[in-house]
Amino acid sequence: MSDVTLKRRALLGGTAALAFGAPYIARAQDNKRIVVGTWGGDYSRLLAKNIETPLLVPKGWDVIKDEAGDPPRRAKVLAEKSLRRGTSDIQGVSAANMYEMNEQGTILQLDYSKIANAKNLIPAMKYPYGVGHIYSGKVGLYNPKLMAAPTSFAEVLDPKHGNKLGIIDIQYQYTMLAASLAAGGKVGNFEPGKALLVACKKAGARIYPSNEAFAQALKTEEIACGIMWKARAVQWQNAGINVQTIAPKEGVPMYVSGFVVPKNAPNKDGSYAYLNAMLEASAQEGFAKDMGYNPTVTNAKVPDELRKRIGFTDEEQKRLVDLDYGYMAKNDSAFKEWWDKSFKG
Amino acid sequence: MTDTALAHAPAADRRRGEGLTAGMLIVPASIFVAFCLLAPLAILFRYSLNEFVTTKKMMVEAVTLANYVKFFTDPYYTTILGVTVRVAVTVTAVCLVLGFPLAYVVARTQSRFKHLLIIAIVLPLFVGNAVRAAGWMTVFGSRGFLNTTLQWLGLIDKPLEIMFTETAVIVGIIAVNLPFMVLSLQSVIEGIDRSVEEAAFSLGAPPGTMFRRVLWPLALPGILAGTILTFILAMNAYATPFLLGGPLFKMMAPLIYNQFTQQTNWPFGGAIAFILMTVTLGLTMAANLLIQRRRAS
Repeated sequence: MSDVTLKRRALLGGTAALAFGAPYIARAQDNKRIVVGTWGGDYSRLLAKNIETPLLVPKGWDVIKDEAGDPPRRAKVLAEKSLRRGTSDIQGVSAANMYEMNEQGTILQLDYSKIANAKNLIPAMKYPYGVGHIYSGKVGLYNPKLMAAPTSFAEVLDPKHGNKLGIIDIQYQYTMLAASLAAGGKVGNFEPGKALLVACKKAGARIYPSNEAFAQALKTEEIACGIMWKARAVQWQNAGINVQTIAPKEGVPMYVSGFVVPKNAPNKDGSYAYLNAMLEASAQEGFAKDMGYNPTVTNAKVPDELRKRIGFTDEEQKRLVDLDYGYMAKNDSAFKEWWDKSFKG
Repeated sequence: MTDTALAHAPAADRRRGEGLTAGMLIVPASIFVAFCLLAPLAILFRYSLNEFVTTKKMMVEAVTLANYVKFFTDPYYTTILGVTVRVAVTVTAVCLVLGFPLAYVVARTQSRFKHLLIIAIVLPLFVGNAVRAAGWMTVFGSRGFLNTTLQWLGLIDKPLEIMFTETAVIVGIIAVNLPFMVLSLQSVIEGIDRSVEEAAFSLGAPPGTMFRRVLWPLALPGILAGTILTFILAMNAYATPFLLGGPLFKMMAPLIYNQFTQQTNWPFGGAIAFILMTVTLGLTMAANLLIQRRRAS
């Protein structure tokens, strides 16, 4: 009988130890685990190819991806705001969304002393709450077989193109900005562009749900022109689509994609390790070559021929314009409402 | 208490014992539903009464009906509700018309391949809605299978605009919902004795009259189950309208998703979700009552 009691006690004790100890064991394993929120597809694949596999895995880091578009990932971070431990260590979002997340109080103010490679970072890519990973510019795209080269946003977003003009639904902010610049507006005022967009829509402009659907339409020659990141155009050129780009004379709005760290990230050491690895020159060069985006560090070496295709000439660089993130964040709901009701509706 | 003792226990005790057992059996499912469905619904309803600060994209605690008022006073949103109901009713009607003959054939066939027929009907359900919608995209695109074939046959000069239209969405949802309708009808028709149809014929009823006076009334429970199921699924369709409807076509479920994720406007998203749920429940109950009354009369 006593043997049975002992066994039972031992069993109970062992179970309790396991139950109480398991989270600590799991947490110990978590210390080398980095959960990365990112878009899927090419971007995620290239993060693995250029950052995770060559730079983090050899150091013992275990990288897990949470792949989704940025709106659901941002909603998730917001939903987890009150939790002590969130479910992701780092999130990839655009500069505009970095600003918005910071306004919502969900992301960490970064300690740049923990990111050794940040010493090479272009100053404009160093946000207090996030790090710019890659950048490109919004340019005009056209099919040289179907039309003459435009020189400006005004010549691309022209109702005369009728249904040969393509517009991407999810790019509503940048499309409104480009239309505003075309109509004489500026980065902090989208109002002047609204009438132009409505005129384009009335003339038959086609609206596509995603960047990929827009690329497909360019490929099938359903459309002849539109606006998009220069980097994407380079990718599509590589895929055999007959498309050329122009740096609009009104200005080239910059697109910065970067990473932020949720305040309740379970493994902040992992977050900083990831930020540091993504700024390694080799990783940045890989993204320039594979994805057509410009490096955000000054020590990355991009071959001249590639730089010509993905980058901007000295004269064009003068036309690069950063966005008014405060204006965009403050008015985003109003922009989207106008876009859905008045433009698309 | 042994089995023998239970068997000899008074009937009232036995019933109490069975009642307790039955009660215990429903406890796990009830707890699951309470925590996983009712609790989130309660939270969502509370959110729908909150305010949303557009300039900061933040939810602020309040108790207001403003979100519900906004929906019903803005024609943009009421039109989306109208389109959703229109699509759901069209899909349900087409599924019933297409599904009834198919269900009848499957129910009445004596073929040894009957099980293969049923598997063929169920087979589309093995593929997710999004994947199926992607398949339709390759059919409906301007350079898709349909347009290429029609152009090759010389029937059209330029591609038909099918993709990103209401037609594409209706076709896509019908393809998703038809198996549900057929299976609901088939199981009920199988339970209707063939001899009642033969009796109608032997009394001189033509096929149309037999269908109207005998088959249809007896199949009403299956029709009701099938239409309710199809209607609810169509009202709440997300992947098909999102992928085949494109940016200009709007239904309620994609609108809710957009409010939650893109706008982070949870109060308004919550309100729209409750409006959709209430309208769906209301219309379903109204149809149920109507059919029950007709059946009784």
